[in-house]
Amino acid sequence: MKKPSLRFRLTDAFYIAMMILPIVFGIVLKVLTKPATTGISITGAGIYFTIPMPIQDFPVTESQVNSVIALVVVLFLCLYLTHGLTEKADLKRQHFAEMAVTKVDDLVKENMGEYFNGFTPFIIAILALSAVSSLLTLCGLFPPTSDINIVGGWAVLVFFLITYYKMKCGPVNYLKSFTQPVALLTPINLISEVATPVSMAFRHYGNVLSGTVISVLLGSALAGLSAKLLSFLPGFLADIPLFQVGIPAVLSLYFDLFSGCLQAFIFAMLTMMYVAGAFDAETFFKKKARKSAKNKS
Amino acid sequence: MQSLDVISVNLWQMLVSLANLVLLFLLVKKFLYKPVMRMLETRRAAIDKDYSDADEAKQQALSDKLQYEEKLRDAKSEADSVVKKAVATASEREKEIIANAREKADGIVRQAENEALLERKKAEDAVKKEIVEVSSLLTEKVLEREVTAADHQRLIDSFIEGIGDDDGTD
Repeated sequence: MKKPSLRFRLTDAFYIAMMILPIVFGIVLKVLTKPATTGISITGAGIYFTIPMPIQDFPVTESQVNSVIALVVVLFLCLYLTHGLTEKADLKRQHFAEMAVTKVDDLVKENMGEYFNGFTPFIIAILALSAVSSLLTLCGLFPPTSDINIVGGWAVLVFFLITYYKMKCGPVNYLKSFTQPVALLTPINLISEVATPVSMAFRHYGNVLSGTVISVLLGSALAGLSAKLLSFLPGFLADIPLFQVGIPAVLSLYFDLFSGCLQAFIFAMLTMMYVAGAFDAETFFKKKARKSAKNKS
Repeated sequence: MQSLDVISVNLWQMLVSLANLVLLFLLVKKFLYKPVMRMLETRRAAIDKDYSDADEAKQQALSDKLQYEEKLRDAKSEADSVVKKAVATASEREKEIIANAREKADGIVRQAENEALLERKKAEDAVKKEIVEVSSLLTEKVLEREVTAADHQRLIDSFIEGIGDDDGTD
């Protein structure tokens, strides 16, 4: 294996820098705009500025900015991983890229079937965007996934996909599917149709947000506990944050790392399940066969 | 800095996030999925080609081996036939030579016989002449006169005829 050229290494360095710089930019922006809070405050994303729009104003918030940061990070991660692909797989990152793509591909094939082969990049996108967004908390940034609007947008997209694949068998069949198994259940079917994206959005958003809430509550509780225990000590000794050392880190391990990745996986899995479940392959292929037979005759 | 409420649904934010996801989907497809898949495909094609090449080479080697064996067998039988042919030719030639020699010998014998016959005839002729001369001489003496040429001839002929008859019976 020959040594990579200078140009190659410079491009690599550029990609890595572009993965780190957006996060640094986010941190700097947060430091500059958000005043340090004292005490407990659980709020949504901070608003940088608001763009007036019809129906509803469009507030450009932390979650918007951070999701764009996550997008840029994922984009440059992709570029970095696929930089210098060769047939012989000389670079370690190529093994990682191939493993990731083939793993997701297998997952999609297993859960959705051969018809949905083109879904792999979409699932990769959901997994990467959701995971990276959640993991931004590790850098102290506001996680966009704890904003209902971000996750809601994704869920709406999934809803569109579900509807699209239900429509594949024709609009009549689509409307008829609401009256299954009996016409009496139509309102409930309608509700469950709408509930799908709502539940997906709430599940993801709620999990990430609850992690933040519990972390904040526990942090303040631990602070109170240390203050209470050390209150008999004189002077600055009473201010030692005894219990705030280490314990929140364990919780962060679960709520930020584990939960963030798990929710991304769950969201992707649910997307696959719902979209694949919406597609009535049997009817579709039967209809297609009938159509082609008709065209022939 | 203002903050949103913990739960605040905003249509435009959702739309932007939806667009973000679609954008990332396209980017991932273009920059990660397609290159990796293309690479896997080319690798698979290369491996398939290697395998098929190896199979082909093996097949070729096998057929070559069969061919060589066949050729070897052919060569052996050919050598056998060549030897057989050579032997046959040699024996034929031998026969021919012998026949030739015999013929030649026969010719020589015949010639010798002819020569002998000729010699004998010559000798006979000489003897005849002698006899004629002697007989004519004797007759002259006996008759005391010159025998005419015609008489002479007649006498000789009858005489010789007698001798010839005697001779012919031999």
